[in-house]
Amino acid sequence: MTRPDDPAIPASAQERPAEIRPRTTARRTPGGASRRGPADPVKTLLHHHRDLCERAVDPLEIAAGLEAHGLTDRTAARYRHRDVFALAEELYARVPPRTRAPAAGPTTGSVPVPGPDADARAAWTLLALLPGAACLATAGVLRVTEGVLGDGTRALVTVVGAVLACLALRACLARGPLRAPEGAGRAGMYGCWLLSYAVYGEELLAQVMTGGPDGPWDGTPAPLLGLAAAVAPAAWCAHLFTVHAQRRLAGSRALEEFGAGVRPLLLASVTLFLGALLPLLLLADLGLGGSGTPVAAACLGVLFFVARLLAAHGLPEPGTAALAAACAVEAGAPALVLAARLPGLEPLAQPVNALVSTGGTGAVSALACGGAAVGLLLHAAFALSRASAHTRS
Amino acid sequence: MRIGLLTDGGYPYATGESRLWCDRLVRGLPQHEFDLFALSRSAHQEDQGWVRLPPRVSRVRTAPLWTPEDGTLRGSGERGLLARLVTGGEQSYGRRDRRRFAECLTALATAICTRDEAGTAAGEGTGAELFAEGLHGLAELARERGGLHLALRSEDTVRILEAASRAPGTGRTVQSATVPDHLAFAAELERALRPLSLDWYDQESLGAVDLCHAASGGPAALPGLLAKRFFGVPLLVTEHGVPLRAHYLAACDTPYAPPVRALLAGFHGRLATEVYRQAALITPGNTHVRRWQQRCGADPAKQRTVYPGMAAERFGRVGEDAERLGAAGDSDDAGGPDTLVWVGRIEPAKDLVALLHAFAEVRRAEPGARLRLFGAPADGDEATAYRAHCEALAAQLFPDEATGAHAEGVCPVTFEEIGGPEVPDLAEAYGAGGVIVLSSVVEGFPVSLVEAMFCGRATVSTDVGAVVEVIGGTGLVVPPRNPKALADACVALLRDPERRARLGAAARARALELFTVEQNLAAFRGMYLELISRTPVRREADTVDAHGDPLPFATPPEARLLGHWTQPGPHLRAQPGRARPGEPEPQHAREPEPEGVCAVAAGPAGDGDA
Repeated sequence: MTRPDDPAIPASAQERPAEIRPRTTARRTPGGASRRGPADPVKTLLHHHRDLCERAVDPLEIAAGLEAHGLTDRTAARYRHRDVFALAEELYARVPPRTRAPAAGPTTGSVPVPGPDADARAAWTLLALLPGAACLATAGVLRVTEGVLGDGTRALVTVVGAVLACLALRACLARGPLRAPEGAGRAGMYGCWLLSYAVYGEELLAQVMTGGPDGPWDGTPAPLLGLAAAVAPAAWCAHLFTVHAQRRLAGSRALEEFGAGVRPLLLASVTLFLGALLPLLLLADLGLGGSGTPVAAACLGVLFFVARLLAAHGLPEPGTAALAAACAVEAGAPALVLAARLPGLEPLAQPVNALVSTGGTGAVSALACGGAAVGLLLHAAFALSRASAHTRS
Repeated sequence: MRIGLLTDGGYPYATGESRLWCDRLVRGLPQHEFDLFALSRSAHQEDQGWVRLPPRVSRVRTAPLWTPEDGTLRGSGERGLLARLVTGGEQSYGRRDRRRFAECLTALATAICTRDEAGTAAGEGTGAELFAEGLHGLAELARERGGLHLALRSEDTVRILEAASRAPGTGRTVQSATVPDHLAFAAELERALRPLSLDWYDQESLGAVDLCHAASGGPAALPGLLAKRFFGVPLLVTEHGVPLRAHYLAACDTPYAPPVRALLAGFHGRLATEVYRQAALITPGNTHVRRWQQRCGADPAKQRTVYPGMAAERFGRVGEDAERLGAAGDSDDAGGPDTLVWVGRIEPAKDLVALLHAFAEVRRAEPGARLRLFGAPADGDEATAYRAHCEALAAQLFPDEATGAHAEGVCPVTFEEIGGPEVPDLAEAYGAGGVIVLSSVVEGFPVSLVEAMFCGRATVSTDVGAVVEVIGGTGLVVPPRNPKALADACVALLRDPERRARLGAAARARALELFTVEQNLAAFRGMYLELISRTPVRREADTVDAHGDPLPFATPPEARLLGHWTQPGPHLRAQPGRARPGEPEPQHAREPEPEGVCAVAAGPAGDGDA
């Protein structure tokens, strides 16, 4: 044991070079202090291991930490304790509890905020602009070359544009806020069907109802252009929703509190998206000469957005189911009309007839997509207000 | 006999911990058949491959405990769309299963969140019971229905955790948990309970073994717990370190908030208690581990300290030389008489600074003394920096010395690596010294000290970790962080060759008695036989043949000796007060065999007597 009155010690202490870490000498103090006999040897120990004691959630954690610092049962005897466990219990009891109580501070900092990097954000924003750009370029080329090129070449241009748009869409759904960590199941298939119907569906239904189909029919590409351009706002709305939900999650103490805070967020982000989508659709309509207000396309856009938002939070099934339902309704309308041509089944066409007579051929897809979107939105209001949906982002 | 060896991140993976010990065990007990059940820790570990397995290993089952890179579990989307829609989105269980899950998880969460009242011994009280109930309930659910990982990540789990942490009686830290804390803990709980969802719990896998031997506590013992629950297989737990303590030390580096750490600590503590409660025997690797186990509720009657075995052969020559020379009284030739040797990995916990200062004192008393430090090549920035620091300090304290005006000077302190031309192997390193020094401030089981003992060297070591119980009076022990005391002890030994030889011989005798591979194997061999005779696994299928007729000699004749041959000693008898209603009785408290089988099996024997 180091004894202050030992003649050998001061000499060696003077010889000690300066680079010895102060830790070594500081650690020695508790033992020395206790031998010199302050009334409370544990207080010194507490001072030296204050960080450990304040961080500890359990006396055993203090015991483990003390042992890692070289304390043994024999050292604990110096502090008038039977073993390290008893010493640790005293330390745990003596650390002021108020230092253990505030938990919210580090929690807020430890929650990863998605997309903190401005570069990454710029990257996915750029990607999200690509599908719209591809569609716009295709439409532009087709418009300029009207009457210049032959039908075959124009068809080729259309196909190339469509492939480019698909590739861009794939790329921007694979990263950023629209990425679905668990895949989206068969949603892609249903999405293709819904998009084709948005382009060709009205014409098909009109022909079927007037006794057709009578051969090739023209599509209305305006919704396609508008929807492709709306991918970028969709990504931003999803990003804003995720970021704000995470922020709310970090600060919330109870699950109900969190749920009540997230529902308005969801509605706000959907409204924001709708607000961005409608002008885009109207512009596309103006540019490509569409027909009237694009209610069906807007409903389809909202449906896609909510479905993707759910998939991005690890819940792809409800979105897939809603898309499938919309597909079923859209496919059902022409099928009913065709079936009604069979003798005895005439009443089958009545609902479709009534619908078309009140709202035009677009009413069918507006009803299908709108119904599905509203249903899905209601579901999302519950599903996304669960805290467990926000762990994976 | 078929032993199920349960490992977690160890054998048979080439990079695992305690794989040497497992390998020796499997090779050293050729009369037993081994089935390996290994949990792997990381993708890297799986890529490193396995060690070569001896033919005694009849089967190897492995399962990953790590999460794939994208954070999702493989196979989480195996259910069809319709099935998932019918059961309501993400919920994977039907209503009845969901209620069962909620009940079990509530019990588990309550046990984790509440702390036992002061004065309750660990392993007793309602908390431990609740934990066992919840854990086994979840295990049964996972075995029957699967899908536990989905349920543990659902909103129900978070809700139950929140309710449990708000209940009265929970600690202040747990009470302050926020929603992100519960989410983080739910994810950790899902990871920790992953062994419950394994497909090991059938008659061909864990049901087929006679004894489960867990190579460590914690997650590795979890399958053993369930095997005991489902098939009555006795569980033997070997711990060379304390998993709970390791968890506490590792928890400092995790980014989790205090409530999550409190909950995790609660879970691991309860799990350790349950493992110790259910284990038939516990073998701590040293007294330190033994104390921690008792702290966590291990019954001292079940504990048998089994020191890790080490290969003594490679130190045999050096050790025998030391003995021979010591007996001849020619002890000056045993190694460099004035040389102190330190062997180990150079890191701050070894406190080489104190050793260098102590050596400065030694030099003052014995000017001819030398110090040789044999260190493994440093890995990591901290270790490299520490080594550089020590070398600089040595150069500063001890200038190079030459024998004459024209000779080249050498420093009395040398840093060397084993494998060079001068010191080809470890035994030579120990043989090069008259006294072996250990200056650590933190130490678990001091391997280098045992090696020095095998070499028959006198040692001076600091009083840390398991040093005192290892050395047992065959070497000098000084307090840690005390260079003066270290120097005094070294000088005393350097000046007294006879005492050095005496201590060295005693140390070698002690090491050969306690720390050889043979004693380790003998201990486990004995324990296997003891367990299997005390708590044999009774399988109905073993007592009947293919047609359902009873097999002759299916039960050994000893079963009909006076008294119950399977009956445990009084210390292991199940206490009626602790058995819960509705739970099957512990295996060893049961009658030796079902009555019908006993009567039928007794039939032929009776005929023979007639």
